[in-house]
Amino acid sequence: MDGLFPAVGAILLQSTRRRQNAGKKPNKLNVIAFWNQKKRPEEKMAASMLGQRTAALCGALKRASLSKAVLLASCRSGFVLQAASYNPKPLKLNLRDPYIPDKESNKTPEWQKTSRYDRKLFGRHGSASGVAPASLWPSPEELERLIAEEAEWHPPLEVMLKNIKTREKEETQMRLAKEKLIAANMAKMPKMVEDWRREKREAKQKLKEEKERKAKLLAEARERFGYNMDPRSPKFLEMVAEIEKEEKKKRKLLRRREKAEQAAVPPAAPPAAQS
Amino acid sequence: MSFPKKPGGKGLDVLQNLPRITLANLRPEPGARKNEKRRGRGQHGGNRSGRGHKGERQRGTRPRLGFEGGQTPFYLRIPKYGFNEGHSRRPQYQPLTLKRLQYLIDLGRIDPSQPIDLTQLVNARGVTIQPLKRDYGVQLVDEGSDIFVAKINIEVQRATEGAIAAIERNGGIITNSFYDPISLGILIKPVPFFMRGQPIPKRMLPGEDMVPYYMSAENRGYLADPEEIQQARRALAQKYGYVLPDISKDELCHMLAMRKDVRQIFFGLSPGWVVNMPEKKILKPTDEKLLQYYSS
Repeated sequence: MDGLFPAVGAILLQSTRRRQNAGKKPNKLNVIAFWNQKKRPEEKMAASMLGQRTAALCGALKRASLSKAVLLASCRSGFVLQAASYNPKPLKLNLRDPYIPDKESNKTPEWQKTSRYDRKLFGRHGSASGVAPASLWPSPEELERLIAEEAEWHPPLEVMLKNIKTREKEETQMRLAKEKLIAANMAKMPKMVEDWRREKREAKQKLKEEKERKAKLLAEARERFGYNMDPRSPKFLEMVAEIEKEEKKKRKLLRRREKAEQAAVPPAAPPAAQS
Repeated sequence: MSFPKKPGGKGLDVLQNLPRITLANLRPEPGARKNEKRRGRGQHGGNRSGRGHKGERQRGTRPRLGFEGGQTPFYLRIPKYGFNEGHSRRPQYQPLTLKRLQYLIDLGRIDPSQPIDLTQLVNARGVTIQPLKRDYGVQLVDEGSDIFVAKINIEVQRATEGAIAAIERNGGIITNSFYDPISLGILIKPVPFFMRGQPIPKRMLPGEDMVPYYMSAENRGYLADPEEIQQARRALAQKYGYVLPDISKDELCHMLAMRKDVRQIFFGLSPGWVVNMPEKKILKPTDEKLLQYYSS
């Protein structure tokens, strides 16, 4: 989509022409109709007046031009703003006496025989430099190299979009997986908390029971022997073993009695049910 | 029968009748010249000359800044953290306020009847861009959006939402486009580039991390869909509460609709052309492969 005005080119031409056309009408770009009014003949005359006044100014200041915005309220139209825009650096083109190095002689340094320097010569002096314009563009080999480099380092837009999509998909997938995991674990949490609390309680209780048992045994020993024994001594251990045996016997008796009762009860129940 | 008025008037009379100007008649504006500080003079300024009493203060042998007498100083106590890591690889954008833009337009340094580009801004000395310092262009900041009243077609590299709203409220157009560092260097200094005699290169596309920014319509990226941009304009108008002016009915509609091609650096110049400054000519390549390369 090219523009109407090659903005840069126009400004360049304006800068080079300005010195020459100081007395003539100013360039169209110089005068801006601030509220986009169509040019009336009075405005055109005002513009020409402006041009002459600026020419006089330029002459008076001896070409020491500064960027000025000259608002002329006395102008008839009243809406035209003379824009001096920017002050371009004067382009010193050495066209009368250009230095063009001799390619054949060996006194000229090597760097003045390269293609890069040739391009600069062309840029500075134009066709007077004697450089063939066709050499300014890359040669076929260089062009191939450029194309390969671009294919490697500057992928086209579609490829980049694809990469972006895959990367984003991956990221979202990872994020979702992580969130799922977190949600699942959080759902498990109450049960785990309960389990842990239960275990803690049971451990505490076990400890308590152990303590009580030990205290009981100690009391038993105290009763039997009459003094506080060391629970690690062999006597104490024998006593403990005895108690254990007695307990075992009691348990066995209990079990036998229970079995007998159970054997008595079922025969009683079915005959009761039958009759 | 009115007497013709003499040009100049009273001022000229005064000038003609007063004595000549000499050094004895001149005096600087009060407050323009301030006397310098001279140490070691006078009853109160002399003696120790404002240095204090003995010690490192008077003798000028104080230790370096940050030293805390041997205690591990604050700047060494605090552990390192990567705040500034990779700072030299981060793209920077020179800020341009709407206030400054309005100032430049009012003074006539920028022409609002032409598309405003980074070249125009730099020529008007509105911003200073240093491509070698990782500057990737200019960003539009919405300070001064309440006083902004210019209708412009502007192209920047980044813009805040408020700035976009302010420009579109006045009937203008804003585009965010990307310039790779080489293109940026050419854009801000076109004349030295043309003197180099190289063909105009094509603008490269942004990197993967910047593609989403330039493809979204909310940011008015240059790679975005025009319809989406229209929708985004309407949405922004609703959000900020202004009526979106219709640009197609404008007189400058053609100028405002001017937009650069994705690979173009200058308006009116295509990649591949060589500009001959001394003779004011443009050379265009005719080889097929070159044309294909430069128009890809």
